[in-house]
Amino acid sequence: MHKKMAFSFPDEVLEHVFSFIQSDKDRNSVSLVCKSWYEIERWCRRKVFVGNCYAVSPRMVIKRFPEFRSIELKGKPHFADFNLVPDGWGGYVFPWIVEMAGAVPWLEEIKLKRMVVTDESLELIAKSFKNFKVLILSSCEGFSTDGLAAIAASCKNLKELDLRDCEVDDLSGHWLSHFPDTYTSLVALNISCLGSDEVSLSALERLVGRCTSLKTLRLNRAVPLDKVANILRRAPQLVEFGTGTYAAELRPDVYSDFAGAFSSCKELKSLSGFWDVVPDYLPAIYPVCSKLTSLNLSYATIQSPELIKLVSHCPNLQRLLVLDYIEDSGLEALASSCKDLQELRVFPSDPFGVEPNVSLTEQGLVAVSSGCPKLQSVLYFCRRMSNEALVTVAKNCPNFTRFRLCIIEPRTADYLTLEPLDVGFGAIVQYCKDLQRLSLSGLLTDRVFEYIGTYAKKLEMLSVAFAGDSDLGLHHVLSGCESLRKLEIRDCPFGDKALLANAAKLETMRSLWMSSCAVSFGACKLLAQKMPRLNVEVIDERGPPDSRPESCSVDKLYIYRTVAGSRFDMPPFVWTMEDDPSLQLS
Amino acid sequence: MEFQLGLALPTPNIIMGFDLNNHGLDHLKDIGGFSGKSKRSFEQAFGKFKQECKTKTLLLWSGQPNEEEDQKDQKKTTFSTIDENDAEEVDQVVGWPPIKTWRKKMFQQQHRVCRIENNRVAGKDNGRSIYVKVKMEGVAITRKVDLRLYHSYQTLTNSLITVFAKDKKCADDDYTRYILTYQDKEGDWLIAGDIPWQNFIRSVQRLKIVRNWS
Repeated sequence: MHKKMAFSFPDEVLEHVFSFIQSDKDRNSVSLVCKSWYEIERWCRRKVFVGNCYAVSPRMVIKRFPEFRSIELKGKPHFADFNLVPDGWGGYVFPWIVEMAGAVPWLEEIKLKRMVVTDESLELIAKSFKNFKVLILSSCEGFSTDGLAAIAASCKNLKELDLRDCEVDDLSGHWLSHFPDTYTSLVALNISCLGSDEVSLSALERLVGRCTSLKTLRLNRAVPLDKVANILRRAPQLVEFGTGTYAAELRPDVYSDFAGAFSSCKELKSLSGFWDVVPDYLPAIYPVCSKLTSLNLSYATIQSPELIKLVSHCPNLQRLLVLDYIEDSGLEALASSCKDLQELRVFPSDPFGVEPNVSLTEQGLVAVSSGCPKLQSVLYFCRRMSNEALVTVAKNCPNFTRFRLCIIEPRTADYLTLEPLDVGFGAIVQYCKDLQRLSLSGLLTDRVFEYIGTYAKKLEMLSVAFAGDSDLGLHHVLSGCESLRKLEIRDCPFGDKALLANAAKLETMRSLWMSSCAVSFGACKLLAQKMPRLNVEVIDERGPPDSRPESCSVDKLYIYRTVAGSRFDMPPFVWTMEDDPSLQLS
Repeated sequence: MEFQLGLALPTPNIIMGFDLNNHGLDHLKDIGGFSGKSKRSFEQAFGKFKQECKTKTLLLWSGQPNEEEDQKDQKKTTFSTIDENDAEEVDQVVGWPPIKTWRKKMFQQQHRVCRIENNRVAGKDNGRSIYVKVKMEGVAITRKVDLRLYHSYQTLTNSLITVFAKDKKCADDDYTRYILTYQDKEGDWLIAGDIPWQNFIRSVQRLKIVRNWS
């Protein structure tokens, strides 16, 4: 009888097999099978994903995966997008670039999200990685066009430069001229976030003209409409295009020039931009609409009738981002025209206004849920909701993977019954068994969390605001949601009990954010003491938490698991409990 | 000339000073759940701990459970706006609704453009108010100021110091300095003080007081 089965594939064979496994989760599983698989896998992992840049140190990553070519890093917590994380909190990429510059010279791709990127970092990237190909910066800040100039000048093999939603110090449009005349490998360029009025149009035209593989081009608002035609004519192979400002004088020659250039782009699948739309120019894109799968109109201040006309030309639309000017009537039209719709995001045109300025209600959402059987991902801002509507939506769309509802006024009840919306969201988690991401709003009691803990077994990310009654709510979520990785909470009456009772759960998650809740400083200290593999960060601009009684609530709390220990780049308003001398005993 | 606001901030007595009204931390008032809603289910599960905590935190905040009316009172500051168009746009809760910063900037730019145009349509530049929003780093509430009330950078910053010193009660380093910055018509953020006052008030869109870490 064999006690051991020897699997004697040579390493090269295993490596070849592993090369077909791309997903991180799978590769992580592979590495757990046995020691030799761990070894082989780590030498051949080419893409590394670090969901929290403080969970591990760059040296540890390089030590384990010496041959990676692509790295993705995420920095600040998600609520930083909404100004809840003070400036200077952290998320600096420079230390990572420094380590990789020395140890990973063949690095090709860097993808960053919510990180602070300096010109110095960009210059170091440009200098250090000879085969650098892809730079994707998403919601990053801290750099200027000087840093971009360095990338343009040095990265001869650059294929993608994508600045999504970044805050860039736009010093000059001339950084584009730093791409040498011999440079032709650009495939994707997204500069939509750049603000400056000076964009070197001639440099842009020349660049687009010589990069014949260019598939994605997203311009910034500063590029005028009448110049877009020149650019489009040089790139008829474009698949994804973002316009600049969509306003120009109403002149037939300008219009026909523009429309002509557009219709020469036979491969267009995705459109965005559309700032300052002059409705008379919209028909120019009708010829390409039938092939469109993705349309981002979230800056377009056009009203419902024009939006209805536009979407009715787009039967193959899969993804739509739009302002609430579309109104319920527009969403009904969408539901009947776009049967392939998978993702819908409706943003508020007047988020801070007290009175509704458009007729967009729960009806629009119900209409789309009913008419679009493939709908999977929704982000919806509105001013009223009912349990009845949510139950209908849930039954219509059991395939939802992402559902984010934002009822603009906090704690708004069901407008029909004045009850909390617990039952409505409960239906969402009950019917949508594959739900991965959920954002709650409206009037909600602990009951909704009971539903979530009971049914949302695949839920990975939950966002909660102005909800719940007591720690029981938080306890339901932490004890019930088996797949939970990220939990972010603001302005809820959750305190110490649930947190301390579920401390072990926190090590199974990437991170927990709680702000304006009722967690005491004492509980934070206790948590940090008992859970050495968690970083417990107290963010408080009022001053040192130990200048107040321990029972006092902390302002903001960010807890994340880490193997890198305490971080050393914290600003004065962030405290971790390691600093507390009273914990030096036991 | 680099413009610096020398805000020498006193070390606060946090417990006494942490008053809901002055801090303008309006979102905290919304934790109305503290004032007695649904105690039942919690008590069943966790006993009385929560109630003790509630009492303590209420004491610290020294605020009444129902702060509804304070929201309106708060507008009656030195900088309160009389302009009705503006009244609906005051940022009351930080980060709510959850819209990304750059998207918010765009809405505000669009609204601001409308207002500026309204002002200009009236004819003369002088006489009409020029309201701009003023935000201070670390302070939740955004205020508004009528630049027509001032004739120089000095008078403007003196006034800002007076108002924000009340808001910014924190144990900052004594040597923390602040810089007044502004966003101009092109959308660029610049340090205030470089251009003549008259040019400044024609160009400024909004103000922000930021910490000078250097």
